[in-house]
Amino acid sequence: MKSIIVIIVLLFTCQIVLSQDYGFGKVSKEELEEKFNPMDSSANAAYLYKERKTYFQYLEGEGFMLFTDIHERIKIYNQEGFHYATKSINLYKSNSTLETVSNLKAYTYNLIDGKIEETKLKKDGIFKTEKNKFINETKLTMPNIKEGCVVELRYKVKSPFYQNVDEFIFQHEIPVKKLKARFEAPEYFVFKLNVKGFLSIAPKKESKNDKIVFTHKSRRGGDGSGSATTKTTYSSSNLTFVKYISSYNVDNIPALKEEPYVNNINNYRASAKYELSYVKYPQEPIKYYTTTWEDVVKTIYEDSRFGAELNKSGYYGKDIDALIGTISDPVGRIGLIYDFVKSKVKWNSYTGKYTDGGVRKAYKEQVGNVAEINLMLTSMLRYAGLDANPVLVSTRRNGIPLFPTREGYNYVISSVQLPQGVILLDATNKYGAPNILPSRTLNWEGRIIRKDGSSSLINLYPKKKSTSSVSVMVSLNENGDIEGGIRTVKTDHKAMQYRVSYLETNKDQFLEDLENDYEGLEISEFNVKNAEDLSKPILESYKFVKESQADVIGDKIYFSPLFFLRSKENPFKLEKREFPVDFGYPSKSTSRIVVNLPEGFKIESLPESSAVALPDNLGVFKFNISGSGSKIQLILDAEINVPIVSPVYYDTLKEFFKQMVAKENEQIVLTKV
Amino acid sequence: MSIKYIIRVLIIFATHTLLSQDHLYSSLTIPENLSQHANAVVRLNEVTVTLESSSEMSVREKRIITVLNKEGNENINAYVHYDKGIKIRALQVLAFDAFGEEIKKVKKNDFKDVSAVSGGTLYSDSRVKYLEYTPIKYPYTIEFTYETVSGNTAFIPSFTPIGEYFVSVENSTYTMNYPETITIRKKEKNFNDDILKKEESSGRIFYEAHNLEAFKPEAYSPSFRNIVPEVLLATNEFVYEGVQAKVEDWNTMGTWFYNNLLKGRDHISEKTKQEILRLVEDVTDPIEKAKIVYNFVQENTRYISVQVGIGGMQPIAAIDVDNVKYGDCKGLTNYTKSLLDLVGVKSNYTRLYASPRDQISVDKEFVSFGGQTNHVILNIPSENEENIWLECTSQKLPFGFIGDFTDDRDVLVITPEGGKIVHTKKYTTKENTQTLTGQYSVSNEGSIEAAFIVVSKGIQYDNKYGLATKPERDLDKHYKDRWSYINNMTIDKMSIDNDKDNIEFRETLNFKATNYPKIVANRMLLTVNALNRNTHVPDRYRNRTLPLKIKRGFKDVDEVEIILPSDYKVESLPGKKTIENKFGSYTSEVIVKDENTLIYKRTFVINDGEFPKEGYSDFRNFYKEVAKQDNSKIALIKNQS
Repeated sequence: MKSIIVIIVLLFTCQIVLSQDYGFGKVSKEELEEKFNPMDSSANAAYLYKERKTYFQYLEGEGFMLFTDIHERIKIYNQEGFHYATKSINLYKSNSTLETVSNLKAYTYNLIDGKIEETKLKKDGIFKTEKNKFINETKLTMPNIKEGCVVELRYKVKSPFYQNVDEFIFQHEIPVKKLKARFEAPEYFVFKLNVKGFLSIAPKKESKNDKIVFTHKSRRGGDGSGSATTKTTYSSSNLTFVKYISSYNVDNIPALKEEPYVNNINNYRASAKYELSYVKYPQEPIKYYTTTWEDVVKTIYEDSRFGAELNKSGYYGKDIDALIGTISDPVGRIGLIYDFVKSKVKWNSYTGKYTDGGVRKAYKEQVGNVAEINLMLTSMLRYAGLDANPVLVSTRRNGIPLFPTREGYNYVISSVQLPQGVILLDATNKYGAPNILPSRTLNWEGRIIRKDGSSSLINLYPKKKSTSSVSVMVSLNENGDIEGGIRTVKTDHKAMQYRVSYLETNKDQFLEDLENDYEGLEISEFNVKNAEDLSKPILESYKFVKESQADVIGDKIYFSPLFFLRSKENPFKLEKREFPVDFGYPSKSTSRIVVNLPEGFKIESLPESSAVALPDNLGVFKFNISGSGSKIQLILDAEINVPIVSPVYYDTLKEFFKQMVAKENEQIVLTKV
Repeated sequence: MSIKYIIRVLIIFATHTLLSQDHLYSSLTIPENLSQHANAVVRLNEVTVTLESSSEMSVREKRIITVLNKEGNENINAYVHYDKGIKIRALQVLAFDAFGEEIKKVKKNDFKDVSAVSGGTLYSDSRVKYLEYTPIKYPYTIEFTYETVSGNTAFIPSFTPIGEYFVSVENSTYTMNYPETITIRKKEKNFNDDILKKEESSGRIFYEAHNLEAFKPEAYSPSFRNIVPEVLLATNEFVYEGVQAKVEDWNTMGTWFYNNLLKGRDHISEKTKQEILRLVEDVTDPIEKAKIVYNFVQENTRYISVQVGIGGMQPIAAIDVDNVKYGDCKGLTNYTKSLLDLVGVKSNYTRLYASPRDQISVDKEFVSFGGQTNHVILNIPSENEENIWLECTSQKLPFGFIGDFTDDRDVLVITPEGGKIVHTKKYTTKENTQTLTGQYSVSNEGSIEAAFIVVSKGIQYDNKYGLATKPERDLDKHYKDRWSYINNMTIDKMSIDNDKDNIEFRETLNFKATNYPKIVANRMLLTVNALNRNTHVPDRYRNRTLPLKIKRGFKDVDEVEIILPSDYKVESLPGKKTIENKFGSYTSEVIVKDENTLIYKRTFVINDGEFPKEGYSDFRNFYKEVAKQDNSKIALIKNQS
């Protein structure tokens, strides 16, 4: 029996020895000796330990304040990981209220000749800057950083802005070995939790009693007569309450890695967000923030920078009367008002669902942010008798709004309900048109807010395909050089993209860039129509000459019928993919090519006509070729029918592009007669 | 002459000047040649620099600029830097529409005010006030005026009428007022008398340039700063952050710099001193000692940039770097120098202009404190052999290798005996080599399987050494992009050997890909050059305006064995090709080894050099011909069986 106990005790102590101590300063030799991350050998650095505690504390004279304690232990494996030894803490401020940082302590640990050496971060490594009107920044960089070192730091942030609890981020660009997080709120503050990301991370929930001790000071005497002695007495009273705690304890969180054609990597990052639903102090009415999308909409709508701004109309009345005059057709009115706002008020590049200086000022100064421009547009459309409503949007950069949060939406556009369907409008975009929204807003679903405050979801992705049709007449000579003419028609988003690059660059530069994109194509008679007339498709045409577009070998000529227009590379190179592929909008490209053959040559062989389709009607590629006498004719169709493709289809999609590239590169063979 | 008359004259004069500038607010009055290639036109730029003494300088500027299109918004440059030493006295912007009507006024307090910390810097005490303006319509005109005062006179603004591409200048003036006790030095660059007017009288220098057409960027052209007109100015006496200086030439500048900003900043902790002495204990060769020290610095420090006050030019003390183990270029260079002093190796602190794109020299004849340099490296002088240069901010570069960041330019070497101008290492065409040797085979189905080694040296080493520390996933992507003309590639082996002693980068690669040759009926068309194909053709210009400049040459040598598919035999082979001209040379040849094996040999050389603009199209044609030759194909035909 005794020996068993000994064994158990031994086992137990071994256990203790093996498990890492995460107390501040308890960095172990094993941690310093680690050469690479066992979970991810490509990691340049890793969080060995990452702890965050966010909680409320009542301070006399200040009220409830939000505190956040941070403790991080970071392993730096190599030089590429050195930048993790530098940290920046943003502290927000608004007029006189501001966040502050305190208790900042940090050390670097190195293993020197088998001994742990610690270096303290001193004042000279801490830098405070006023970054701008809204942010003070505290930056620090650790001393004595070498490959293999461990840095550890902790600090406390005090914030008066308890309505905005920073998101708890669980997944980073480097792996996390052990993560602890805790959020505590008194019963007066009711928060809603939203979790996102590929890893499912759930908190443990509990509640505890807590109390606030109020100290009262009262003074007697000292009435100014000078004779009486002053007496101050202190008394105290308690307020007890329940606090709710949720805590996270997660081990081995993998790094989040970027992939091409992902609209916003943060959509997939593991994180938890606490959104304030309501505040209920004892003996006071409830103050609501958000719990549901209806609440979000209500809060935004009732904000004076949204609803009230939307309802203002006096500032433009006469102008709109004059503008629409006798035109009664709704579509005509939409077009007139939309163009009017676009030309009248320019976007100052600030996004936002709320106005800044207000619609009236924006109208007068002819400059405004997103909300000013699009709320003004909505208001004018309503004034003209149309069923117009604002639509809240989350931009691509802001991520997909998965849960009801006020920050979930950061942008607003306009919509008009017509019998034939809804038209979406964004007047911040110079080259936009009805239902052609800028790509920053093409992000899943928006939320339409009606006059009565009700709301519903609306798909933002265009249903209509943007098209590009190319017609080419080309003559090939016996040296393999070509000349010919090309005519391209582009619609919708494709036209919009063209307009941005064509109208916003120097014309000479545009032409030179075009020539150089096709590796030195020589262009003449270049002509673009409808560049400024957004209601019509773009028409681009030019004549071209290009050398060495076919291989002349012996008495044979080999060439691809698409010449310089053919796709050369598969855009999808990664072996596998975890996130959806985002094309932004559905599209259709058609090319019709007629090749005149050099005299004295005849067709020996043509590639076969063929068609490839993606499953579930996601897309199709058709290649139809025919030849007779001295002419070859090719019709090529490529369609992607959806704006977003799920990663389930990644292999299929990659194969689809592979076949498309292969087909476009197949050779025609001519022989000398 | 009555008072009345004088007043009338004054009024006329005043309205006249008002009128004469008024027309500049309208976009309709721009001369036609100035709107060519221009995104913005500087209508008038008046800079007035007043030196009250060697310790007080004010700068006043009024700039009227018409913006023609969206890209021209970037050329307004309505911002002013300030810090503890520079005070902003006045700051204002007026905006005008195309007809010259004022549409907006922005006062000093309406400017945005932010910390001027740029990307690579952790902290700086410099701040900037800048204009945020959304144009309502193009064209429009901005008048930007400011005045600053500073106790520093070390950096006197130069007269640079054209600061950017795509900007033309209608009129630009520069006035300097100074006390006669101060001597002004100046250097005029890239001016001709047509465009530059100057007046000099005692205590006043005046320059005027007008009608300067916009420059347009072109590939393979000299650095912008080396082609635009510029007048550099400096004084013999100046004050920098409270320190007085009097210099005549580079030599005395060097002495002053050494005595006031470098001397006495070399103390090292006893611990580090013992460690360094132990490391070099049995070493006698100074170069070997220097290598050990450089390696020590690379392993123990990192680059962090902090700029405060005098720290803009003076390195933090070596002991501070020793304590925190980081520093900026000045701090790390001074630290390395201090360690080299300890082991008895002489080295010199060196200021220069660093940029891979622009090899800009410190002017031999024009002495100035700052303005011509932006970086610091270390020089180890050598009596008989080439100087050794050390880039102390890099933890990765081999000893003595500076790469394209600081190569081939004049720099200021500061020694206790004075300053001197020295030229840094030039990487010559024959040093910048890439040698590729290996083999590929093609299957009957059209798959290719390749195994080869690429060895790079000189600037070609510089282009690749960063790959040594890339994770596998990024490397895989890099190689697929580098051989982007081969589709459907799977890489089976990527192994990298970064030989820092010999400064050689060796990549060993194996890959497979399907559909490499084009199969047409019973023929196969095989592009011989599978592994080092030049697809680059320099951009074509309808009208080349700038001279041709090839900053660095290179030499590629390839030898590849090709195993043909067993079911096919050669129908036709490309012939041997040799091209030679002043820009370089090219040879390629396919040798039949046996029925199934070919040997492909290729060399491609581009020489560095500068040529008149007329040479550009020949240069481009050379590249075009190489691209064409690199695309030549072998026709294979199926065996009759």
